[in-house]
Amino acid sequence: MSEKKTKVKVNHLTKKFGDLLVLNDMSFDVEDGDLLCVVGPTGCGKTTFLNSLTKIYDITDGEILLNGEQVDPKKQNIAYIFQGDSTMPWLTVEENVRFGLDIKKIPEARKKEQVDKYLEIVGLSKYRKYYPKQLSASMLQRVSIARAFATEPELLLMDEPYGQLDIELRFKLEDELVKLWQMTGTTVLFITHNIEEAVYLGNKIMVLTNKPTTVKKTLINELPRPRDIAAPEFVKLRNEVTELIKWW
Amino acid sequence: MTNGKKLSEKSIGAVCAVVSIGAFIILWYWGTQATQLGLLIPGPFDVLKAVGTGIVGKVGRHSILAHAGYSLLRVMIGFIIGSLVGVVLGLLMGWYRIAEAIFNPLFRIIRPIPPIAWIPISIIWFGLGEDAKIFLIFLASFSNTTLNSMAGARSVDPEIVNAARMLGASERKIFTTIVLPASVPNIFAGLQVAISSSWATVLAAEMVRSSEGLGWMIVAGMNNNDMIQILSGIVMIGVVGYILAIIMRRAEDVLCRWNKSGK
Amino acid sequence: MKQKNKMKYFCISVVSVCTVILIWFLCINVFHMKSETVFPGPVKVFNTFLDKLHTKAPDGATLQAHLWSSIKVALLGYALGALVGVPLGIAMAWNKWVDRFVRPLFDLVRPIPGLAWIPMFILLFGIGITSKALVIFLGALIACIVNSYTGIRQTKETHLWVGDVFGASDSQKLFKIAIPTALPMIFTGLRVALGTSWTALVAAELLASTKGLGYMIQQARAISRPDIIIVGMLAIGAVGAIFDALLHLVEIHVAKGMNAK
Repeated sequence: MSEKKTKVKVNHLTKKFGDLLVLNDMSFDVEDGDLLCVVGPTGCGKTTFLNSLTKIYDITDGEILLNGEQVDPKKQNIAYIFQGDSTMPWLTVEENVRFGLDIKKIPEARKKEQVDKYLEIVGLSKYRKYYPKQLSASMLQRVSIARAFATEPELLLMDEPYGQLDIELRFKLEDELVKLWQMTGTTVLFITHNIEEAVYLGNKIMVLTNKPTTVKKTLINELPRPRDIAAPEFVKLRNEVTELIKWW
Repeated sequence: MTNGKKLSEKSIGAVCAVVSIGAFIILWYWGTQATQLGLLIPGPFDVLKAVGTGIVGKVGRHSILAHAGYSLLRVMIGFIIGSLVGVVLGLLMGWYRIAEAIFNPLFRIIRPIPPIAWIPISIIWFGLGEDAKIFLIFLASFSNTTLNSMAGARSVDPEIVNAARMLGASERKIFTTIVLPASVPNIFAGLQVAISSSWATVLAAEMVRSSEGLGWMIVAGMNNNDMIQILSGIVMIGVVGYILAIIMRRAEDVLCRWNKSGK
Repeated sequence: MKQKNKMKYFCISVVSVCTVILIWFLCINVFHMKSETVFPGPVKVFNTFLDKLHTKAPDGATLQAHLWSSIKVALLGYALGALVGVPLGIAMAWNKWVDRFVRPLFDLVRPIPGLAWIPMFILLFGIGITSKALVIFLGALIACIVNSYTGIRQTKETHLWVGDVFGASDSQKLFKIAIPTALPMIFTGLRVALGTSWTALVAAELLASTKGLGYMIQQARAISRPDIIIVGMLAIGAVGAIFDALLHLVEIHVAKGMNAK
């Protein structure tokens, strides 16, 4: 069995807003192909955390390495699915999915191939000429997902993408995500405050503390897929995570 | 973001403003001193001096401030009457379909005609006095506020209205306590356009036919080949225009406080 | 049901307009409330309109000639104002340094209505197309700058972040995210600028022209022909409305995404 490569290495990540210390000396590794779920108490700076990883926010101290190099969205292939809707209202579904590929100046033929493929996978081929205004919330998230996966990113970050959907849709999209993840082997960092979702999705679960945020513990989740949320091992792991968060 | 960072952004802005305006004035001054430009237009300090003497002394028959006063008075009267009629009519048109059906077509024929185009006919109808000018400003305020007030009345959330109806509110009560407040942001947008349109209109009216006012002042300057008078008039026009805009914005901030989303 | 209501309101509108014309006719031609040399009735106005289509008297040109002259100058000033104003407004909103240096100067000029510059331009350039075009240019410029600026400022942070994560360059973010977001407001600016230009044109022609619709109505006043004035006013209104409608059509076509139902 080959050694799993380290995809992302974070050393002493610190982020301050003026005098307010939000992220406090966080260090952790993410292996190639991980689906790492990050959980923590509400307001513990999870979004700040993701934004710092992608250099949307400048970090105060520490370093973030992707494939051994400084993280740089312009040179590396990263994607981010935001909380809530982030589709461009002036573009059709098809044009939205193409957006990342357009930015990265992918050749036309390959662009078309990717767009068609991922539209099909998320089940929106029929809606390719529609505008975001005409779609439901879950469909909009699917557009963002297709847009992210179409660029075949090395690292995919997701900030509570299913937070505003009802349970049935949530389950459906979670399964779709697992399918996509297994199909592409992308390394995924998934933020959620829903512990059940974290245990369902992640092969690793990282628990954060309250502000000033730091890594409390990382648990390994080796439950076989597809996972059963009612199974005793699942519940046990879920309780373990809950306890970790509650103490703080 | 702490206060420390915010302050430096503001001070950078202030410094750049000073540099930018300063550079402009220096360029202007140098241009009039050192090049042909001086034959065409006066330098900045000559203009400022003229404004000063105009305030203490006279331009024509009145001081600059008095001219400004005349212009402002005309604007105020026309603006208040015009806006009142415009807001009331606009709200009615926005709320009652029948009012819209009656008045909108007439409005749509009259509105595209700029108030300034009414100047000649207003002189024939009202003569050369104040009435003509106030009529024009009335027109300018009226056409701008009606449209926005109508949009404001239309923008009311139907759910709120239905809820009020279910609770037994009378139609008049609904109009005064729901429709009116909800329309205020739109009404204010209209008022801001109306005041700047009114200011432009009074100047135009004074430029065509008047014996006092800032519009008269700059046209008189033109007739006398007096560029300094024109420019000092323009400075005054800008100052007054600026003050009017600020007043409107402050009024809006106070009355529409609830509409400003916290950022 | 809805169709019936629409019909009903349409009829009311038609009746309303006809009633006004009827009242106008009655007041002037039947009750003689005012002499036709001061307030002409609808029939006289209509006849004058037909007349003016082929008579050069009394101001030296036919209605169409005046119309064409006005439109030419207005479009010239407007096009220049928009071509400079829109990019400038965008640059000011996008680039912090441009904003910091240009905006204070802009704020100084902004409260001065475009037509206040007419006397100065006449002294510098004389009566003619240059002065008129410049005044119109200024008016259109200001409206375009203000609205383009506001439009770019409305760009959502989230959308810019999407671009950032995909590694977009600054110009990619400008052209693919900020400008599309601003497009509706840019169009609003273009429409406001059109109205401002048309108004500035009339003002310029009232004061400093030898042809054009503004000149026509000013001359008509001098010789006490209010019927020509009214024809001119209606022509001014009609042209303004037509141009606005045309621009609106372009707007609907271009900004379709944001307006989709």
